[in-house]
Amino acid sequence: MDFVALSLAMLAIGIFGLLTNRQLLKVFISIELIATGATLNFVMLASSSGQGLGQALLVLAFSTDTALSAVILALLVIVTKKYGTSNINEILKMYSEKDNEAEA
Amino acid sequence: MILEVLSIGLLISACLALFVDDPTYSVAALSATFLFTALLYSADGALYAAIFQFAVGVGTLAILFLSGQMLSNKTASTTSPQKIGALIGAGVVLSLPAIFLSGASSTGAFSDASFGDALWNLNGLDVVLQALVILTVALGIAIILYERKSGGK
Repeated sequence: MDFVALSLAMLAIGIFGLLTNRQLLKVFISIELIATGATLNFVMLASSSGQGLGQALLVLAFSTDTALSAVILALLVIVTKKYGTSNINEILKMYSEKDNEAEA
Repeated sequence: MILEVLSIGLLISACLALFVDDPTYSVAALSATFLFTALLYSADGALYAAIFQFAVGVGTLAILFLSGQMLSNKTASTTSPQKIGALIGAGVVLSLPAIFLSGASSTGAFSDASFGDALWNLNGLDVVLQALVILTVALGIAIILYERKSGGK
């Protein structure tokens, strides 16, 4: 069993989702999957070496990940309420239209 | 054997979380991803990591279910059974290298510190600083939401 290959697969799924999905919620889920892949690699390698250090560092990584999630979700809710959609293409289109109106 | 089954489940649920159309099912699949990750940690002997993963996962998912309902389009969208089958197949195929490649072995290059030692003696300063960072982030979000509520006055 190779955990590096497993976390690489998680990373690949996350990056593929990040590149192909246009919904903000799916983008957030992609970021979560990438973070899970990274922590999985970290913990499994540390655990197979029989150390508590990896798990201790994981706690710190989790706190960073949670803070990141909170910020992303807050921004996501604000943007969706402002533009009325969670599709990135539509948001960009509305933003550029508003920009053009301001210039005119 | 249990690690292989858990890794296949992990990748299948990750594929489903990203590519199922309905946001509620998507978040449910993400919850399965977190659960499989916690079980994988637990099966490999990293019990503290499993507990933290489970706790953080539950908190994240509670918020995600609410925001998933709020952010989703009202039109009902369903994913076809063929697409679900293809996603499950993709998850199984992606897990094959992890199952059939040989794993990393212990090098013994580092000292064998216990979890408590590693957290409080080796990383005590990091823990305090991270708490300060999280406090700052929480205050920042509270200020943004308050200003939005009061209309920026």
